[in-house]
Amino acid sequence: MPNLTINGQSYFADAPSDTPLLWVIREDLRLTGTKYGCGIGACGACTVHVNGEAVRSCMISVGELGDAHIVTIEGLDPANAHPVQQAWIEQQVPQCGYCQSGQIMQAAALLSANSRPTDKQIVDGMTGNLCRCATYSRIVGAVKRAAEIANDGGRHG
Amino acid sequence: MAEQMTTTRREFLVRSAATAAGAFMSIGLPSMLQGGTAEAAPTAMFTPSIWFTLTQDGTTTMHIVKAEMGQHIGTALAQIIAEELEVRWEDVRLDTPLESIENFAIYGLAYTVNSGSVTTEFDRLSRAGAAGRIALLEAGAQVLGAKLDDCYARASRVYDKASGRSIGYGEIIQKVKIDRKFSYPEDFKAIKLKRFGDYNIIGRSIPALDIPAKTNGQLKYGIDVFLPNMVYGALVVPRARYGSKVLSIDDSEARKIPGFVKAVKVDDSIGKCTGWVVALAERFPAAVKAAKALKVNVDPGPYGNLGLNDITQELSERAKNTQAAANWVLEGDVDKALKESERVVEMEYSTDMICHATMEPLNATVQFTDGAWHVHAGTQSTSFARMTLTAYLAKVLNQKPEDIKIFIHGYPLGGGFGGKQDYDEILAAAFCAKEAGRPVKLIQTRETTFATSFARTPTYHKLRAGLKGGQLAAMNHDICCGWMGERFSVGKKFGTDWLQLDSWDEKKQDIDQWSIGGSDHWYDVENHRVRAWDSPRTTWAVQASALRTVSNSYNMFVVESFMDEVAHELKRDPLEFRLALLNGKGGSRGIPNTGYSPGTPSDYYMDRLWISLPWPNDNAWPQYESATVGGALRLANCLRVAAGKAGWGAKRLPPNTGLGIAVSSAEERQSPTWVAGIAEVTVDPKTGAFRINRITIAMDPGRVVNPMNAKAQIQSAALWGASQILSERLTFANGAFEQSNFHDYTPIRLADAPQIDVELIESGHHPSGIGEPAATVVAPAVANAVYNAVGARVRHMPITAEAVLTAMKKRA
Repeated sequence: MPNLTINGQSYFADAPSDTPLLWVIREDLRLTGTKYGCGIGACGACTVHVNGEAVRSCMISVGELGDAHIVTIEGLDPANAHPVQQAWIEQQVPQCGYCQSGQIMQAAALLSANSRPTDKQIVDGMTGNLCRCATYSRIVGAVKRAAEIANDGGRHG
Repeated sequence: MAEQMTTTRREFLVRSAATAAGAFMSIGLPSMLQGGTAEAAPTAMFTPSIWFTLTQDGTTTMHIVKAEMGQHIGTALAQIIAEELEVRWEDVRLDTPLESIENFAIYGLAYTVNSGSVTTEFDRLSRAGAAGRIALLEAGAQVLGAKLDDCYARASRVYDKASGRSIGYGEIIQKVKIDRKFSYPEDFKAIKLKRFGDYNIIGRSIPALDIPAKTNGQLKYGIDVFLPNMVYGALVVPRARYGSKVLSIDDSEARKIPGFVKAVKVDDSIGKCTGWVVALAERFPAAVKAAKALKVNVDPGPYGNLGLNDITQELSERAKNTQAAANWVLEGDVDKALKESERVVEMEYSTDMICHATMEPLNATVQFTDGAWHVHAGTQSTSFARMTLTAYLAKVLNQKPEDIKIFIHGYPLGGGFGGKQDYDEILAAAFCAKEAGRPVKLIQTRETTFATSFARTPTYHKLRAGLKGGQLAAMNHDICCGWMGERFSVGKKFGTDWLQLDSWDEKKQDIDQWSIGGSDHWYDVENHRVRAWDSPRTTWAVQASALRTVSNSYNMFVVESFMDEVAHELKRDPLEFRLALLNGKGGSRGIPNTGYSPGTPSDYYMDRLWISLPWPNDNAWPQYESATVGGALRLANCLRVAAGKAGWGAKRLPPNTGLGIAVSSAEERQSPTWVAGIAEVTVDPKTGAFRINRITIAMDPGRVVNPMNAKAQIQSAALWGASQILSERLTFANGAFEQSNFHDYTPIRLADAPQIDVELIESGHHPSGIGEPAATVVAPAVANAVYNAVGARVRHMPITAEAVLTAMKKRA
């Protein structure tokens, strides 16, 4: 019966400790922006931040998290003001949109670790996130644009 | 059809009315005003048609009947209305009408398919928007005390040129009671629409209205629905894809799992959800555990031992029986022309299965409350979902269909691609809700989503070309595959025959156009025959279905690869060879401007190229320009543009690198979008592995509503095509698909995605679809590029490195 810190708030997770974080976030806490895609860490749709790192929430159980700080897409910026969100809208990245929470969380973690990634670093960092609509070329463009926004002193710099 | 439209559409009304809180106005069907289009009606509104509502605060809400599944269709349709209605774009909002028997009578069929939404809606939405503008202009002139001729509308205001005064739409509907009638169809047909070139909103790259909710996690898909007291359902992986029967269920292990509620054997008596058992539990992870813990004793059924080899053997065997063939194309005298040819080129082709693998797994939430069934799901057709569930529940509950009340709450789809037009999850969730006496949210895991895939059929092809005097004198194409149409049509006996096979040959033999279409290409070949065979066992065993571009996805691979082979055999340049045959004559001519009317015998093809749809009787619409105008001359222009952009014949290429070209006219012969594609591919001659460096697409869709979005759709489709030639393959053994997740079924990822250059050619004709057609040219363009790079001709899709290596060795 672990306690979880998600988007700065404390939650008591009334779920068995071997429950994947994904299902607690989605179905118990109803933060449904995090998506179920495969359940085996192969698609990235469920990506969240755990202590600032991009993690597949289907692959980690709530019992393993301790006092980790978890951020979901809802906690990134509800007003879409994070540089990655701004760039995603500017470049009109999403199509069906189902994988995009995961893409955005992956990109945000990538940029916080490396504020000026090369094209190759972007491809390497993002290729684990599957997009069936194949919005790939705009994803690459938007990550670059987000880096520009962030480095120009955007709100989340 | 069980359902008849209860209202007739003899005239459209433009009307305003007062409510307790204010005034609203409408043009549309009187019944709509009572029936209610939006779930929460604003207090003061103007509903100039069933497709939009204007409120006194100036906002205009467009009612979008088409499903949002990544194509941003709501934004496109709203642009079409806004153009003629002359509303300020910032004032535009979107909503989705609830699907019910009443709203079906008003809106007609809610079905999103065939990249057809803009094509089919463009004319009527333009006219509806214009009718609203006319009514507002007249009322505005009255308020301003101006002459109607002096007034014009722009950005949600009516202006009087004489006085310079103006008034907003919102103010007009507060001040004037409007009651304007347009006779149908006469007045509606007479409305003068703007011409191509005069648009302000159409043709602009307006940001899609649904995107901001997709970047902050706020958009709700079907899988994000919660209902009070609901229970979760997880499917047990069925023993066979189709036809297994559940004999008994042992739930002793499942009962040990905390939260387990019960196991439900889903009623499969209408031939849907065969062999399905659902584990219900208070939490989804518990339901998944319970589904794995259930021991289900099954009879594997008629396909339980079938494998892919059995199917591929059967396909080539059946195609030997020429007596049983149905003729899909029959022009000239092919047998005679082949006999008189100097040389005959004969090749066999085949294609593997693939599946939709939408990112959002199949799911449905169903609640029975207050005598009505409420379904929450993302589906390509809320109308078919309602009709299918009606037929199912009528059988299960032993009730009359008219006594079953169903509402389908539509949601955006996390991917569709043709994969969300079967309704098994909805039926199963409804059955479970009945058994549990509680709302049920049934989520398919990725594993059960793969296990219950509706596959693109495996196909077998034999082609012959008769060459004479340096020309292609005759072409024969034999195709044997599963026919998805048979699977939809067979529902006749259960009352679920929404999509009927309605195509036939000269012997009145049925043909499934959705499985054979695309082979009726636009080249001018004097003697041309396409013969088709079905394989019912294949159809049912793999549940053959429509998958993005439908039969074009394999037929264009085959036709365009073979055309290249013929060109090389004739020692002609594949570009020049194609251009010569895309001459606007014979089979490459377009239909004159006769308009488009289902079932109209206006052309050799048109009289047998239609699938019956349950459209309300009186809900037909005036004809609009055929998308075929110009014929293959437009296709030739696309090819010229693509060739120029890609540097065909001019670009210096590195070693083991080649360009390949292909053209296509998906989706159907009567609804072509002209598209040419050129792929640049580099092959590693040691391993046979290849990389697609770049794809160039040139497309003429007539008019483009939103260029930025159109380019995104075209890039998406091109990568879909790249994915199926590179890395997607669904296999079958013991009656079941062998792939279970994204580790063994591998759609294209960023690292393998080539650059896609897109050139849009706006010829100004009636708009045709852009969401799919580019997918059809990529596979053959890649196959032709592989040949041009290293001389390896691979006649199977997907193309594996091994196949390239084998073909290279064969040549050497």
